[in-house]
Amino acid sequence: MTGERKQTLRRELEAIVGRGAVLSDPEELLVYESDGLTLFRALADFVVFPRSTEHVAAIVKLADREKLPFVARGAGTGLSGGCLPSEGGLVISLMRMNRILEIDYDNQLAVVEPGLVNLHLSWAVGPRGYYYAPDPSSQQACTIGGNIANNSGGPHTLKYGVTANHVLGLEVVLPDGEVAWLGGRTRDPNGYDLAGVFVGSEGTFGIATKIVVRILKKPQAVQTVLAVFDEVTHASDAVSAVIARGLVPAAMEMIDQLTIQAVEDAFGCGYPRDAAAALLIEVDGLAAGMASQLERIVAACRECGARDVRAAKDEAERQLLWKGRKSAFGSYGRVSPAYMVMDGVIPRTRLPYVLDRVNAIVRTHGLRVGNVFHAGDGNLHPNILYDPRIPGEEARVLAAGAEIMKVCAEVGGSISGEHGIGLEKADFMPFIFSEADLELMRRLKEAFNPGGLCNPGKIFPTKKSCVEVGPVAYRPHAIEEKGLAQRF
Amino acid sequence: MADDILAALRGVVGPSNLLTGVELSPYVLEGRTPMAAAFPGSVEEVSAVLTLANDASVPVTPWGGGTAMSVGAPPTRSGIVLGLRRMNRLLEHEPGDLTATVQAGMTMRDFQAAVHARGQWLSLDPPDPGAATIGGVLSANASGARRHLYGTARDLLIGVTIVCASGAIVRGGGKVVKNVAGYDLPKLFVGAFGTLGVIVEATVKLRPKPEVETLVAARFESLKDCGLAVCAVMGSDLIPSAIDLLDGEAAAAIGLPGERPALVVGFDGLAEQVEWQRAELARLCAELGGDDLRDLPAETWARLSVAAPRALTDPVAVMRLSVLPARVTEVIERAGATARGLGLRAAFSAHAGVGSITGALARGRDAVDAVVSTLRDWRDAARAGGGHAAVEAAPLAVKELVSVWDQPGAAIRIMRRIKTQLDPKGILNPGRFVGGL
Ligand SMILES: Cc1cc2nc3c(=O)[nH]c(=O)nc-3n(C[C@H](O)[C@H](O)[C@H](O)COP(=O)(O)OP(=O)(O)OC[C@H]3O[C@@H](n4cnc5c(N)ncnc54)[C@H](O)[C@@H]3O)c2cc1C
Repeated sequence: MTGERKQTLRRELEAIVGRGAVLSDPEELLVYESDGLTLFRALADFVVFPRSTEHVAAIVKLADREKLPFVARGAGTGLSGGCLPSEGGLVISLMRMNRILEIDYDNQLAVVEPGLVNLHLSWAVGPRGYYYAPDPSSQQACTIGGNIANNSGGPHTLKYGVTANHVLGLEVVLPDGEVAWLGGRTRDPNGYDLAGVFVGSEGTFGIATKIVVRILKKPQAVQTVLAVFDEVTHASDAVSAVIARGLVPAAMEMIDQLTIQAVEDAFGCGYPRDAAAALLIEVDGLAAGMASQLERIVAACRECGARDVRAAKDEAERQLLWKGRKSAFGSYGRVSPAYMVMDGVIPRTRLPYVLDRVNAIVRTHGLRVGNVFHAGDGNLHPNILYDPRIPGEEARVLAAGAEIMKVCAEVGGSISGEHGIGLEKADFMPFIFSEADLELMRRLKEAFNPGGLCNPGKIFPTKKSCVEVGPVAYRPHAIEEKGLAQRF
Repeated sequence: MADDILAALRGVVGPSNLLTGVELSPYVLEGRTPMAAAFPGSVEEVSAVLTLANDASVPVTPWGGGTAMSVGAPPTRSGIVLGLRRMNRLLEHEPGDLTATVQAGMTMRDFQAAVHARGQWLSLDPPDPGAATIGGVLSANASGARRHLYGTARDLLIGVTIVCASGAIVRGGGKVVKNVAGYDLPKLFVGAFGTLGVIVEATVKLRPKPEVETLVAARFESLKDCGLAVCAVMGSDLIPSAIDLLDGEAAAAIGLPGERPALVVGFDGLAEQVEWQRAELARLCAELGGDDLRDLPAETWARLSVAAPRALTDPVAVMRLSVLPARVTEVIERAGATARGLGLRAAFSAHAGVGSITGALARGRDAVDAVVSTLRDWRDAARAGGGHAAVEAAPLAVKELVSVWDQPGAAIRIMRRIKTQLDPKGILNPGRFVGGL
């Protein structure tokens, strides 16, 4: 972009959002060149900070007129490069649109701006006994707008579903700058379920400027069990056994041996270091029947060969058990200079087979892997440990990652359970979708985003891109550094 | 030309699976007789039928069990009925994964029976399960009382196979319960009334069958009191699977004595969970003036969604109003008063916790005018209640005066573009859906 054009555009953007809300110095832009997946980098021409729907609409109209690509950005905690300006242009940061506009307890909903941090909503409604259910582990930092775009999940997805199950409607600025409501406050869509389709579209259908979400009553009771196994297969069997007993726990999370040891080294949460795997199972709901649900879970785990099963006696012990699970990612730092988190989904009955394959693949590439994941959903997170200073290691990590995705595809699974496709996995889409499937998706995108200016270069396999791809030293995300979150 | 197409269709599905002439009487829609009804036996045959129709620009009406064919605007042109009833097999059911894949023409009842046999169920309970097919239920976004806890088709459908207007066979979503790869195509086809593509296979999430399930009714003097009880239940620790509200007439239609409004609440889970909740409900209702608490037989579940039309001897129109849950009683009161003011009998039932009201209207002496004015007012009432309303059934003369669907606002632009992208020649159920799509 010529200096002159840049000056003119800067003035026009400032006329919309005011001074102090436009960045264009290369140094300032650097902060926005990556998201939580630091492997990819791309520089924007501008970063703009709107404060209202009108601002966003005016910015998008300008981009449309000038044929400038633009992309929405929340907290930048995404793990697939989704918010990168892969073809330059504008990054539209929603961080200043972070208000809760309305809380309607009678109808159990809230209307929020997209830059609101996920956890802040639960804080706001907590005193009245409510919460916002989708709980990505980045919830202290990530925004509801980003959650919408990625259809984010969390440990409690098993019982409560993902973001899509909690969104009623959205006000969006479409890629031509027009504003429209998709869905609303009531349950049944009027026409096609566009709100449902927008969720999970990774910022390629427009920019959400208001979001109507459901808020839920907090459960009366919660119980958490830790089951310890000497064989990974037994832990996998226990996952199926719990389900076969007709129980739907709120969460069922698995941690493997490497991870247990890392966690113990780092935090000492009381997991036995010699265990092959641990399962963290949580049930919530009515106080009535809680004891018998626990009994059934304990019995199922024992039957599958658990060597030890214990229920948290009080809230403090429950927190400690979860701390081990939640610090898993942070603790890899103790055992490895860097790691790369994978995200794939498999039918849960294939867990033992796939875990074996994952371990074998990583070993073949001369690397190590730690597994910590949403076992109840079959949502795997193999974390490949590596040293970026060793030439060629990063390439081996990427190769192993691609092979793991192929295994997920082979067993009838998916290449992403929650982190999205973004830039990272665009080329893997053909693992699970045919050309006809992709063509239908392209047509849908064409309906929302005919000029293609809104978040270009994502989701679909492409040849051209000016994104820089590694090798780069692993950097923990800023929120991990601050100890605010661990990577799931 | 028509003869050529018929011959080609016969070639695709075989002579015994193509109906023409007088055999078409069950497929007459709003007075229009289709040129043929084809019953393909495989995804490939569906694709061949659509390719033929698309090449000739002949409209296609996908047809499952035919239970929701009265919904929607009348077809603008007649064409081919594409019946899915031969595609009625359960393809996969892996209990450990809590998922199943089924062909679109299987009836809801057969599907439920198959998964029940292995201790599971699909937590979706649309009316008329013996006739309604999976594909039809998804396309019409049909649901029942249990949606209060378990959501609707959008929350349960994780994968679809679609045959597009062009004949292309496309898969969206997948077979795993959590999946964010690519756009969420299943959501696009739920409730699209067959205007974007034909659902031929579906993969759904299942749940373990609860140990115990119960349905309890309490009676109140007024709708208002009944509404207060709904709010109390919603604000309590109870986790009901259904919260329905019925006016006096609808209450009678599910077999409750005396014409008083009823609150009907469902619970499921372990025996002790259900018992505790029943007791807690009794306490809440007593505090709010409810009485005559009684357990209802299991068959009542299926009657809840259709209680309003069944309450009338001669229902002429049915409207579905989607409003904010806290406004349900206010909307019903207004809608009832309007009908009475115009000399018409009406009955209402609601899945109150999710704000879904069904209003039914009885035939009056002057056929059309009063019905039209009432339905218009009901739509205004729904809007005042924060939502919108659609005519679910009405005579053609009424549909010509009251638009079947509500205004979707600025989003209609995108809906039109999606329709153009997916069905450029407009052959799939032309004119049936919102905004003439
Ligand atoms: C430590 C850590 C832990 C994590 N744990 C989880 C987890 O448990 N579960 C999980 O699902 N994810 C997890 N993630 C991934 C990430 O936090 C989520 O994807 C999150 O939803 C991203 O939110 P964000 O505000 O950071 O969005 P960004 O990263 O800023 O953007 C993500 C995408 O959203 C789009 N977008 C942002 N705002 C809008 C808007 N208003 N309208 C339209 N599009 C928009 C962007 O264009 C981009 O495509 C984790 C990440 C980290 C770093």
